[in-house]
Amino acid sequence: MVDGVILTIVKSVILASVLMGFFALMTLIERKLIGRFQARYGPNRVGPYGLMQPIADLGKMLQKENVVPEGAHRKLYLAAPFIAMVCAISAFGLIPFGNVATIPGTDWTIHLYIANTSVSLLVVAAIGSLGFYGLMIGGWASSSKYALLGGMRSIAQLISYEVAFTLAVIGVIMQASSLSFITIANAQDHLWYFIPQILGFLVFFVAAVAESNRPPFDLTEADGEVVAGYHTEYGGMRYAMFAAAEFINAITLSALGAVLFFGGPSGPILPGPIWMLLKIGGFLFVLIWIRATLPRVRFDQLMKLGWKVLLPVATLNLLLTAAVVVYG
Amino acid sequence: MDLVVFFLAALAAIATAVAVVAQKNPFVSALALLGNLVALAVLMLLLEAQFVAVAQIIVYAGAVMVMFLFVIAYVGPRGEVGPGERKPWQIWLAILAAALIAIEVVAVVYGATFSDWAEISGDYGSPAAIGKSLVTNYLLAFEIVSVVLFMGAVAGVIFGSGGRPLRLSNDEVLAKEAASAEQRRREDSRAVLDAARDSMGGDR
Repeated sequence: MVDGVILTIVKSVILASVLMGFFALMTLIERKLIGRFQARYGPNRVGPYGLMQPIADLGKMLQKENVVPEGAHRKLYLAAPFIAMVCAISAFGLIPFGNVATIPGTDWTIHLYIANTSVSLLVVAAIGSLGFYGLMIGGWASSSKYALLGGMRSIAQLISYEVAFTLAVIGVIMQASSLSFITIANAQDHLWYFIPQILGFLVFFVAAVAESNRPPFDLTEADGEVVAGYHTEYGGMRYAMFAAAEFINAITLSALGAVLFFGGPSGPILPGPIWMLLKIGGFLFVLIWIRATLPRVRFDQLMKLGWKVLLPVATLNLLLTAAVVVYG
Repeated sequence: MDLVVFFLAALAAIATAVAVVAQKNPFVSALALLGNLVALAVLMLLLEAQFVAVAQIIVYAGAVMVMFLFVIAYVGPRGEVGPGERKPWQIWLAILAAALIAIEVVAVVYGATFSDWAEISGDYGSPAAIGKSLVTNYLLAFEIVSVVLFMGAVAGVIFGSGGRPLRLSNDEVLAKEAASAEQRRREDSRAVLDAARDSMGGDR
């Protein structure tokens, strides 16, 4: 038995590194896929098949000068990307990749998750909502009207869709009668929840796309209206951190979708972590596909969809689920 | 380990609380309040109140403070309040209020008898237990709160609409605007015609 604290730290470091590697790979895959969707090649010059592109991007970002705009609140301006990034990575820490595994050649058993609390789902929501402050502080501290308006706009969007998102997830919570990811994943041994919770899943998916600020809900970055939104004034590594935080949030939301509606790490033949990666990858592929297909919505359309369509549907799903849980 | 975390969180709570009052910039001040809420959540975690801690962050950090910052960022000027703008009676009132609170705290601490750590049973404070007590023992309070929140939402919509009739749909608003624009255009052209007639009359 290895000391709990040290083991947790080791696991956290491994998970964060794997996550960053996965993110770097996904940026390449996203550009490649978008290229394919638009009948071009995508990046293919750096290394075989363009595989070294993320490293080249990183090298470029690292060499950029760190500019602080005049009139900006210096400390907050510099800290904002870190807040976004830390929240994005730590939210991912609660995602389970399986139950228990034995390290080959030894009799050490380890849990394939960093923490399992009775309120995991709420913890992810809480950390996610702390992540909003990264955008908000970034937008405000830049001392630029476009950054401020962009930041406010994304916060308005995130808050609106968080309501529908949470209501959609509550259906799953009621059916599994637990807030712990492990219990929820295990409760889907016989039937993945996306079948009985199909309404909830649809709301969850649309809200998740909006929550991760991805097209067609990327109003934050509607360049004709607010330039680049809250990160208008950021360049170099700090811009990259905002972008990374956003993409990692998308990965976390995909993982949430996999755990809540597609049985999490369970699946035949292959081990749990592989199944999780496949399911997350599936979600991300659909996200990229949507990005290549749909044009951006207008802001009033966005608000109408969130409050007048998703919220009622999620509430209806909740009532139906309640009836099924009580009388079914 | 617990003690270390406790003192770190307690120090952070006090420091951020001081910063809320001491900071001149309202935005930074609100951020300090946010830090204070997070530090309190850590203290609740130490007391095994996981659900309450997380609910505190979701409700206060995720919703309430976002609204504060929204208003400050939009409405508040970025200027800071200088010492000259304080009124003397405010200072005396503040000292009086602080003294009252200090007396109260001292009285409570002296009057209290501290027990050892209380043992809590398995599901005390779990989401299920809290939910159950909300819909059994505290059902009336729970329902009243929901009514209050509903009234708040309705009031928000009415204030937000700024006295405009609520039933106008987007298309109706557009139609109204088009009608008034048409009206204005007609008036303008009439004025132009009048002016033209006047100038022609002047020629005659």
